[in-house]
Amino acid sequence: MTVPGSGSLGVGIGWRPEIDLTVERLPGVDFVEVVAENVRPERLPESLRVLRARGVPVIPHGVGLGVGGAEPPDPARLAHLAACARALDAPLVSEHLAFVRAGGMEAGHLLPVPRTRAALSVVAANVRRAQAALPVPLALENVAALFGWPEDEMTEAQFLGELVEMTGVGLLVDVANLYTNQVNLGLSATGALDGLPLSELAYVHVAGGHSHHGVWHDTHTAHVPGEVLDILSELCARVDPPGVLLEWDDDYPSDAALEAELGRVRGAMARV
Amino acid sequence: MSDDHARETPAGAGDAPAGAREALAGAQAVLLAALVAGGAAPPGFDEGRLRIQAASLISKRRGTVARVRPDLVALLGGDFAREFEAYARGRPKPPGGSRADARDFADRLRSAGRLPPEPETAAGAPRWLRPFRRVVKLLSGAVRPTG
Repeated sequence: MTVPGSGSLGVGIGWRPEIDLTVERLPGVDFVEVVAENVRPERLPESLRVLRARGVPVIPHGVGLGVGGAEPPDPARLAHLAACARALDAPLVSEHLAFVRAGGMEAGHLLPVPRTRAALSVVAANVRRAQAALPVPLALENVAALFGWPEDEMTEAQFLGELVEMTGVGLLVDVANLYTNQVNLGLSATGALDGLPLSELAYVHVAGGHSHHGVWHDTHTAHVPGEVLDILSELCARVDPPGVLLEWDDDYPSDAALEAELGRVRGAMARV
Repeated sequence: MSDDHARETPAGAGDAPAGAREALAGAQAVLLAALVAGGAAPPGFDEGRLRIQAASLISKRRGTVARVRPDLVALLGGDFAREFEAYARGRPKPPGGSRADARDFADRLRSAGRLPPEPETAAGAPRWLRPFRRVVKLLSGAVRPTG
């Protein structure tokens, strides 16, 4: 089955203000994603309004909710996500299985949750609160980790599987993050694909990064490596993904290079 | 959009069991203190990995501050990364996000005499030109900082 709301999205790219006109002009952009914290729903960027008028779906993608944190999700952040979804008439909203703040401190990035039964009960309660506050379905993304918790009892795939079962949340599978965890933590990406409930897949992320002293950094600033595209092909061999979206966040290349990158994504999807 | 997406949640749809939130809060706070506030690594973690994560968090902050304040990058040149590292190590990102982080970094540079004392002007186009930003970009064609 398909996750409610995701339907058939196609191939997309992360909309960023720096490449707004590029995204509008690029051929073959079926949908886009916007970082929810970077827009005001009452005053959407003109480029997003242009895309919406063309019928291109725009998915609000949150990075600051911290649904994997110990505190219940902030009602103001949830209200913002809900307002973004309404303003964009979005089919769904996505966020991350991560914590981003604790003890009054901000991490400034997505950190992995301890994968224990006790933490699962907290995250499931947080997800339910988020779902109750949103007008559309929520999908959660697996994160790239540089470390694991000593008390981990489950793999991330098992943890997400339990979370899907408990809450009905959708999955945003980031194949670049699976690759990152394979390189940095020795966790098999195909093993993760085997364990994830791909029937609940909302869409897929793909991105490039950099290797630094043997550690893979998922920077979203480079050509997608063949290994990441191979994982995308593996995923497509298991399930027909409703959508696949390229993330590119800085050091933007030429329009032609981005177009070629989308072509490589389509090629990996068709390799099945 | 529909409002009927919410599925019937299985049994136990209330909040987490008593104590679970408190335990998770404590564990996450100790770990985050080790990553961003100079705290000791909690037992059982791979300390080398936590050091890499801590450096990665600073690197991410540095990249965002560089985007918010390109004038500081221009001013410090090759010293930007080292100066930011010296500022950010052991100091959590302040409330108020990347703009607050950039402001605190600039304040530190100013108090060290590395920045002129007068308030700096916002980078980019003059304020009166901003409503025309899109037109300027459309006309100029080239919109990216690199490549």
